[in-house]
Amino acid sequence: MDEQNLEIEYPERLVVASSPHIRHKDTTAYLMLQVILALTPALIFGIVLAFTVGWRYGLNALILTVVCMAGSVFFEWLYEKITRRPVTVRDLSALLTGMLLAMNLPITLHPFYALLGSAFAIIVAKQLFGGLGRNFVNPALAARIFLVISFVSAMSGDAYPMLDGTAGATPLVLIKTGQIAELSLMKMFVGVCPGTLGEVSAMLLLLGGLYLIFARVISWHIPVAYIGTVALITYIFPQTGGYFDLRFMAASILSGGLMLGAFFMATDYVTSPTAPRARLVYGVLCGLLTVFIRYFCGAPEGVSYSILICNLLVYYLDRFLRPRRFGQKRGKKA
Amino acid sequence: MAKTFRGGVHVEEHKNTERMRTVRMPAPHTVSIPLSQHIGAPVQPLVAVGDRVLRGQCIGDLAEGLCAPVHSSVSGTVKAIEMKPSARGIPVQHIVIENDGEDELCPSIAPKERSLAETAPEQIVKIVRDAGVAGMGGATFPTHAKIASAIGRVNTIIVNGAECEPYITANHRLMQEHPEAVVGGARVLMHALGLSKAILAVEDNKPSVIQIFKGLTWDMDDISVAALKTKYPQGDERQLIYALTGKELPVGKLPADVGCVIFNAETVSSIYRAFNTDQPVIERIVTVDGDCVRTPQNLSVPIGTSYRDVIEFCGGLVKTPRRLISGGPMMGAAQWDVDGVVTKGTSAILLFSEEQSYSYEHGSCIHCGRCVKGCPMHLMPNYIAAYARRRDYESAELYGAKGCVECGSCSYVCPAHVPIVQYVRVAKTALAAKQKE
Ligand code: SF4
Ligand code: SF4
Repeated sequence: MDEQNLEIEYPERLVVASSPHIRHKDTTAYLMLQVILALTPALIFGIVLAFTVGWRYGLNALILTVVCMAGSVFFEWLYEKITRRPVTVRDLSALLTGMLLAMNLPITLHPFYALLGSAFAIIVAKQLFGGLGRNFVNPALAARIFLVISFVSAMSGDAYPMLDGTAGATPLVLIKTGQIAELSLMKMFVGVCPGTLGEVSAMLLLLGGLYLIFARVISWHIPVAYIGTVALITYIFPQTGGYFDLRFMAASILSGGLMLGAFFMATDYVTSPTAPRARLVYGVLCGLLTVFIRYFCGAPEGVSYSILICNLLVYYLDRFLRPRRFGQKRGKKA
Repeated sequence: MAKTFRGGVHVEEHKNTERMRTVRMPAPHTVSIPLSQHIGAPVQPLVAVGDRVLRGQCIGDLAEGLCAPVHSSVSGTVKAIEMKPSARGIPVQHIVIENDGEDELCPSIAPKERSLAETAPEQIVKIVRDAGVAGMGGATFPTHAKIASAIGRVNTIIVNGAECEPYITANHRLMQEHPEAVVGGARVLMHALGLSKAILAVEDNKPSVIQIFKGLTWDMDDISVAALKTKYPQGDERQLIYALTGKELPVGKLPADVGCVIFNAETVSSIYRAFNTDQPVIERIVTVDGDCVRTPQNLSVPIGTSYRDVIEFCGGLVKTPRRLISGGPMMGAAQWDVDGVVTKGTSAILLFSEEQSYSYEHGSCIHCGRCVKGCPMHLMPNYIAAYARRRDYESAELYGAKGCVECGSCSYVCPAHVPIVQYVRVAKTALAAKQKE
């Protein structure tokens, strides 16, 4: 017990710092890690599913994932080294971007495109705007759209193989061409149908998303408003004609990466609003645009486009829908 | 259902000392009593070097102006009258008194047998003034002035026993050990203000206190006990008024403007003591905690005792401190050294080591929105900080800069460790300077 009795000197000077003197334990890296963990089951499912289609597909899916994640981290490190900025790969946000990018790619894509995509995501969409927190579009989505526009054939059409190895139409295409009767909602929910690497299992994405909400990593506003809007419109005005089609609604919210988009892409902190009301409006806008694009344009990337477009509105949403200040009269702006 | 407000954060409580009885700390060898322990004008010394003073004797006062008189907390000899920095870093005159160990009490302090019904409100104001009572929650506004200005303007007295800052349990122990003083003080205030309604407000992390208060007031229709949800900053006057009355007090307005007046629990018990015995505020309950202190506890400390003496009484240090905080960890002030002294507003002394001290390292905002959700004033601290960083204070005001009460909730929850409050303060100061021009 000698140590305990050692006299400890009073320091000459103490540190004078501004209050508060304590902080919450959550850090940026911790939050990013939670999102990565929440996405992992759906990603693993996607890779396993690819293996059941054929080992070449499975292997490719695995390579895509590794290339995207490693590539994103590498490009972030490289850019920050070259520009002599502090290296921020430890905040895990680049890793998450890579993961999201991988999940937005078709499993048949050549890994070279994936590398290109991660370079675009990190360098063009993120770092050129000033790095984490300053970019205003979601880097993974921007990279996906970049690939879709630049390499049309590699990114669409028969890029989505069926379980029997032949090229197949994604559920969204089936819906579009009126073949909704061919769809098995259960299969879509569990995820045994073609789609990008990460969007196939609506169920696992939903579970991951709910985990994030309950762990208070994301707030409920955006996903609820987004999915709710899509559900409402597709229920009342189904594309199949007539009104009130529950089956069409279910097929719509389970397909086209809506779960992935609503829970994981639209809620990306940096590129979504922070005021609660702004979040709701943002979610509704994303939903409206998604349905609009699906109904009137052919693009299967409706979710990606909608979120990117809404990303551009974030600043205005936050500004005009900022909370009413405590003590300020209702309806009056400062 | 516990009452509360919208916004705010859940802070790790660390109420380590809540079950420990308050210990009376013997007066140290010397005390150094600041002549400004309140908001308002510093008082003038009434004694000279070499004078003998008694415990409880008035040693500093001012004939006019807003102030609270100062009393000696020991009996002994005045050794010096010197300038030293206060806890907020402003130079203040201190009267240094060497304790003669006699503990001789000023004869004016004795049971008074006053009847409340026969005491005029003006007389209560005078008694409170002469006892030097100033807001003991930390704001240190002279209490008699608050009472005087509230007469005829308010309809609700709120006794603030929320104690929402982490670590601090000084009010908790006071309310538990001397509930009759709090209830009695509330009665004195009700009489002075001519009101028949007082609310004792306590956060629901102190169920024992709520129970004691309920037991004491069960037959009183005019004093009610309100359980508040445990959430920071529940003890802030705006959040308190909102939780209890549903009224929103705008920035720049006083509680009296919405018919409320708020007193800290220890202030109320000091009023009670002053009314009964004319005892001035010469000691107060201080929570001593933090990982560097050998025996964290609540102490009744004579005013003017140095932090060093308090720490020694608690068994000294077990780790080298890096920060000494006077007050709570959310809003308290970090001190330069251990030679500062306990004043009427010192609710806690916290000593944090290197591991427990934490500096904000200017990370990039990731736009997570936690600060927006946590701001009790419903501002957008993320935008205020971003604009303040770019010196665009007009835009910072658009997002509410002037409405900030500096509660620290935003910095506390920020996962990117942006020193948000510091930026908001910069914006506030700049905006205030501009307004003056
Ligand atoms: S902006 Fe001011 S009032 Fe709002 S949480 Fe931050 S310190 Fe508190
Ligand atoms: S809590 Fe920090 S990171 Fe999150 S929005 Fe506020 S300032 Fe930005």
